Amino acid sequence: MRMNKRDKLWYGFIAAALALPCIPGVIEGSFFGHVATMVLLYAAMAQSWNIISGYGGQVSFGHSVFFGIGAYGAALAVVTFESLPWYGAPLGMLAAALVSVLISYPCFRLKGHYFAIATFAIVEIFNRLFMIWDAVGGALGLDYPILPDGWKNFSWSDTKTGYYIGALAIFLLVFGIVRWIEKNRMGYYLLAVREGQETAESLGVNSAVVKLGAMALSAALAALCGAFFAQYNYRVDPPMVMSLDMSMKFVLITILGGLGTFWGPFLGALVLIPLQEYTRAYLSHLGAGIDLIIFGLIIIVVMIKEPRGIMGLLGYFGRKAAGAAEEEGEDR
Amino acid sequence: MKLSKRTAVFVMLILCSALFASSAAFAAEEIKIGALFPLTGPAAVSGQNCVNSVLAAADVINQKNPDINAPLAAGEGLLGGKYVIKVVAADHQGKPDVAKSEAERLYNQEKVFAIIGCYNSSATKPASAVAERAKKIFMCGCSSSAALTERGYKYFFRHAPTDAIESVEFVDYIEYLNKEKNAGVKTLGLIYENTEFGKHAAEEARKAAKKIDLKIVADVPFNNGATNLNSEVQKLKSANPDAVFGAALGGDYSLWVRTMKQVNWLPKIAINYCTGYQNPAVQKELAGDGNYFMGGMGYSPELAKLFMPEAIKIQDKYYTPRSSQPFDSDSIQEAVMLMVIAQAIEKAGGPDTEKVLKIIQTEEFTSVMSLSGTVKFGPDGQNVNALSVITQIENQKYNTVFPLKYKDTEPVYPMVPWDKR
Repeated sequence: MRMNKRDKLWYGFIAAALALPCIPGVIEGSFFGHVATMVLLYAAMAQSWNIISGYGGQVSFGHSVFFGIGAYGAALAVVTFESLPWYGAPLGMLAAALVSVLISYPCFRLKGHYFAIATFAIVEIFNRLFMIWDAVGGALGLDYPILPDGWKNFSWSDTKTGYYIGALAIFLLVFGIVRWIEKNRMGYYLLAVREGQETAESLGVNSAVVKLGAMALSAALAALCGAFFAQYNYRVDPPMVMSLDMSMKFVLITILGGLGTFWGPFLGALVLIPLQEYTRAYLSHLGAGIDLIIFGLIIIVVMIKEPRGIMGLLGYFGRKAAGAAEEEGEDR
Repeated sequence: MKLSKRTAVFVMLILCSALFASSAAFAAEEIKIGALFPLTGPAAVSGQNCVNSVLAAADVINQKNPDINAPLAAGEGLLGGKYVIKVVAADHQGKPDVAKSEAERLYNQEKVFAIIGCYNSSATKPASAVAERAKKIFMCGCSSSAALTERGYKYFFRHAPTDAIESVEFVDYIEYLNKEKNAGVKTLGLIYENTEFGKHAAEEARKAAKKIDLKIVADVPFNNGATNLNSEVQKLKSANPDAVFGAALGGDYSLWVRTMKQVNWLPKIAINYCTGYQNPAVQKELAGDGNYFMGGMGYSPELAKLFMPEAIKIQDKYYTPRSSQPFDSDSIQEAVMLMVIAQAIEKAGGPDTEKVLKIIQTEEFTSVMSLSGTVKFGPDGQNVNALSVITQIENQKYNTVFPLKYKDTEPVYPMVPWDKR
């Protein structure tokens, strides 16, 4: 099998990511290990959102609802039913897919900004609902008991390696699915719907089924990320997971990296998460939110300079380098 | 006299080595203590006050303070100057997930010996879970959710009275007013933020109310950080309870008070948990509108003048220059926790976690910044000597009204209506 440049980049990335925990002290128990785990998790979250919003053109601000359902799935299994997160996570994914279809079916009648506004409202509705729903802990949320370390409970006290591998597995699953979608008929259908729903329908694409399918897949993957988030933080409550703040993270990372591109969510997370974590860790003691000010300024500058995000910037520099090489060739 | 070049070099060498030797002899080892609080977000002001309070306690320990009669104040540092305390501040933004990752960073990267925090009960929970898993000490000053000390943790200690203790005290006071002053308080309304803290406070209030058959006629949760509390206050007004127990932090507290003024309604008596009520900055902002409300407190400058004179000295010397206000009932408890752990390190002969833990678990500590004067932890990590009094605010002065042992003023009861102020 001949590999193109893109495949080489993908497999090279997998090899590097797998090699990282083998270097002693890099991941295990280190702050870098935490940051690397968060980069992979947030990249996977953003990529799950990218399926429906980037490739499908249906900008959703409601993904924290699906993320939250996944988080509650794992937490309910562990805290309420004293079982394993491995049962709760798939159930959470299933529930999120189901809820996404139920919500999206009427909402997909709306277009553009109206669809986005409707998804905003859904976050608020679910947030309030979970705040007063005592069966899921209400406003108190669900706190994990201290469990023995290991894969069985997906819980570790003094090492980040297990979490890193878990986040990497989720990352590879989500990005692998998107790679498959891109090369498959579904990817073309999604792009067709994004570029012109009526035109796509006139060519025989069932846009409702395509959009609902993509939304269900996107929601299920977001829920899987949510299950990991709950395991990682030993706790879940509505403001932690089902909030506009969390929804904005899905959107911001993808837009910063490059909407509707394969590597965009990863690049967005690679810039945004270390920036957020390191500025908070090393500047927050100064008080007055200096870390947040720097963080905000960088995002504003990037978005003003290149609205297509980091992928746009890379494309610009790539074209510039190619142009310079061409000119050099002509001179010769 | 003219020195030869060789003699001058020799003298210089001796001077340098003497200087080096003296600095080496006095170089104290640092014991890092994490101070994990909300330095940004809705509770930022309270969080910054807590950090300033911990820094003030560190100054008491690290510097020579012959004027302050408190443990570790007279000398410099711990164990005769062998160790000094270094406070490492960190921000959890009021978010539980951030609190958890910052606790991990403080223990693993900054290598702090213990963490003091986190103000918000919802942040204290995951951060102290990190400590328990890592077998590190976690000192909690003022998070009041009773659930924190019901988890069976071994490395977690809390100074503040819980919502359960305060609820019983509030009800005892109402019982006293009914018996002694013929107050006629028969119904109760609850207003609380929909968070770990608020929900627990309300739960404990319901339990305590049963003790004297106080009928709960209004149960009103609200979302913290709200911009409007009109419908919530209207619910209270329509139920018209004789007494209201409130659990609202910072800006939410002032919004609640102002909304009551807007709708022109007051109960006969309003008592607050550890909330915006305790914050002098919030009371300053409310000015006369804040008058006649009551609240549970472990510290007020007025109370301190009578019962905690050394705390006033610490406040004036180290806290107020940083915070531009006196200690408040929340922040001072964080300082107490640093003083306690420092005393335990001193007794243990150094920062050995297991030895220090044993001392914290078993011994009683002198505390000039606690109303009871001492701190002793029960098997669950709760301070069994935790004490709070009920105060009533009037012209930004916290007057103590209950228990009678600490009472300095007759309460204004019932509250003066808005149109008669």
